[in-house]
Amino acid sequence: MSANTRKNKSPFSLGVRKKAFPWLVPLSSVRLTLVLLSLSMVLIFVATLEQVRIGIRGAQAEYFESFFGIWHYPTEFWGGTFLNFMPLPIPGGYLLGGLLILNLIAAFITRFQMTYKKMGIQIIHLGIILLLIGQMVTQAIQVESRMQINKGETSNYLERFHGVELVFTDITDASESKVVAIPEEMLEVGRTLNTSKFPLKVRVKSFGPNCNFDLKESGENRGNITAGVDRGVGVSSNLSITPIEEDFSAEGVNFSYAVFELLDQSESLGTWTAVAHPAGNSRWELIHPKLAGLSFQPIRHDGRLWGMELRAKREYLPFSIELLGIENEFYQGTDIPHNFESHINLNLESGQTRKALVYMNTPLRHAGKTFYQYQMNKAADYSVFQVIRNPSWLVPYIACILVSVGLLWQFSFHLISFLRKQAKVAPAV
Amino acid sequence: MCLSNFSPTTLGKSCIPLGIIVFFGSCSEDPEIQSYSITPEYDGPMIVWQLPDHWGENPELSGPLAGSFHVKTDSGPKGRIGVMPFREAVSSLEITNMFGMELGYQGFNQETLNQVLQVKKIDGKNFDWIRLTERVQSDNPSTALLAILRNDQDTWLFPFIADAQLINAEMESFTHFLGSIIARAGKKKIRAVMPSLPPPPVPTASGNPTWETPKHWLPGKASSMRVGSFLVQDRNGKELDFSITTFPGDVGGLLPNINRWLGQVNLPEVNPDSQSKYVSEIILDEKSAQLLIAENEEKSVYGALYFGPSQSWFFKLIGDSELARVEKENFLTLLESVCFHDH
Repeated sequence: MSANTRKNKSPFSLGVRKKAFPWLVPLSSVRLTLVLLSLSMVLIFVATLEQVRIGIRGAQAEYFESFFGIWHYPTEFWGGTFLNFMPLPIPGGYLLGGLLILNLIAAFITRFQMTYKKMGIQIIHLGIILLLIGQMVTQAIQVESRMQINKGETSNYLERFHGVELVFTDITDASESKVVAIPEEMLEVGRTLNTSKFPLKVRVKSFGPNCNFDLKESGENRGNITAGVDRGVGVSSNLSITPIEEDFSAEGVNFSYAVFELLDQSESLGTWTAVAHPAGNSRWELIHPKLAGLSFQPIRHDGRLWGMELRAKREYLPFSIELLGIENEFYQGTDIPHNFESHINLNLESGQTRKALVYMNTPLRHAGKTFYQYQMNKAADYSVFQVIRNPSWLVPYIACILVSVGLLWQFSFHLISFLRKQAKVAPAV
Repeated sequence: MCLSNFSPTTLGKSCIPLGIIVFFGSCSEDPEIQSYSITPEYDGPMIVWQLPDHWGENPELSGPLAGSFHVKTDSGPKGRIGVMPFREAVSSLEITNMFGMELGYQGFNQETLNQVLQVKKIDGKNFDWIRLTERVQSDNPSTALLAILRNDQDTWLFPFIADAQLINAEMESFTHFLGSIIARAGKKKIRAVMPSLPPPPVPTASGNPTWETPKHWLPGKASSMRVGSFLVQDRNGKELDFSITTFPGDVGGLLPNINRWLGQVNLPEVNPDSQSKYVSEIILDEKSAQLLIAENEEKSVYGALYFGPSQSWFFKLIGDSELARVEKENFLTLLESVCFHDH
């Protein structure tokens, strides 16, 4: 039996792999790789242009976190007046990323040789596959939140940057409060929501991610959205709401609103309105005293007092952070921040307290979450952390290590081979 | 590379990685109603109660901690019961005077207050108990029954305003209501200072009346009894007070009320035969009402009195005679603009 025959019979040989996975062969094409990379460049170009129009978050959602996006040729470009009407489908991030992963895996299986000589290339591609998969996993499960703490105070919850929830909190008991939170995805107009944890049914009459609001004079028409509101702050402040488009830009502030009816079985208790202040409902008091109640609208039922509000989605933590102090330094003579740092007490689940310092590029990591120094207001004495929960945060590091090892292997292998050859051909002295 | 290599089986296999991609693409939390317990964050005062079955809640509430109710009767909602938060510094004397002025009392001092004040213990809670009856000759005068509960640093007022007969009939329910109160003082002090009672219920389903006020009339003093309140001033500091009030029933009828108003401008009382000196018929929103024009040297009062089926409405302009004459036309124009929204 020749060496060649033995090689062909190995279960990992290229021939055996090609035979076992013939359907992967077309997917492993280098041409496909080049097409996908070219389309990725187109995607990045289009998304960058669109970012001006719909903001970073909008462009990310429309083009990168989707299988395809629809782009209209800009009117500012040559011939734009005539071409703008035509919708152009652009392959999205999920589609291109997914196909690139497939392409790489297919190439890995059907084209790459499992030899020491090619081992470096294999490892490099493995690293790139890991990087792509890691990015997809991150995109799917990473959660970004913020935690704002006033100096001297303690916080044990995070607020999502985007998305709101309609919350009913039973504050009757002095020892604990019970919270029932309805996420905005469920606030569909016409839908009636109920849960065993809340004694009333909630019938959604109107919901929107952003609005303009106005306090009308007594007796003045409130407009269609809040016309039927007959309870709570909506009535006492004669609040008028005009829905507007959600602002996706980085500086955009969105005032989500909800109009809903509460029902005790089938009996209506009235219709309320709620509006979420993007910086927290405690800010309503600063806008107008009549709106202060939007942070707590009382609903009394069956001897219990529930407070209602529409607020940024929250996640409560089993530990808390106390802000002891903040430092805010700038480069001399400029407004460019040199350093933000927060001195904190981390009150652990076990009851122990750990002191920590969080500053730019040096986050606090605890319980699977990373707390980055995000914003700070020395005058108002508060600090804001950006909090990331990303279980796959290690994947990019591992991928980069793999790529580095692969490159090192490949170059070293060739270098050593070259040096060996050189040594062989070198004339004996 | 050619697609002819694909067979149904191989196509099926290729779906596996595609499925993985779709999985990641759609990997997000399913929205659902969340329920959990937290350490209390609300640091304001808390109060809850159990309403008697035949009481109804008035929806027009202002402020986070007040309640407002009425008694359901065959002839519609009657009376009003409120839940009002006060600072500790607000004394029973101040509260009594606030309501007493509206009912024709000259003003209480500690000595006269002690004559009407009792301490009543209901389900272990001590209430300051004050009953004020309107100072008119009537079989069924307007009455304010004030129950004041002091709870740590907070004070809660539970006024029951109705005619005397309704209050007597509802005494047991009111006592049960007070007994059901659970109040907890907040960490933050109540900032409410003398809040006004929510507007009274209107027996019709159509809501309060509306009217058009002259633009130079200013918002007037807030009061628990007033549905509308305006102040009229001239450059010389002369003033007129305009108020719109409503009460259940006829609150004594026409004569006692116009005599009370005449007394307020130092004019002698009239009897049914002589009332026509000041009183004439007027139409208010297609309803027959009475117009009072009583002018004295220093003070004058113009008023319209409408006694509805279950509710009485009073529109009164009182103050400096000279300014009153100037504003007379505006007052009459305002009366023409009144609309009860019940037809």
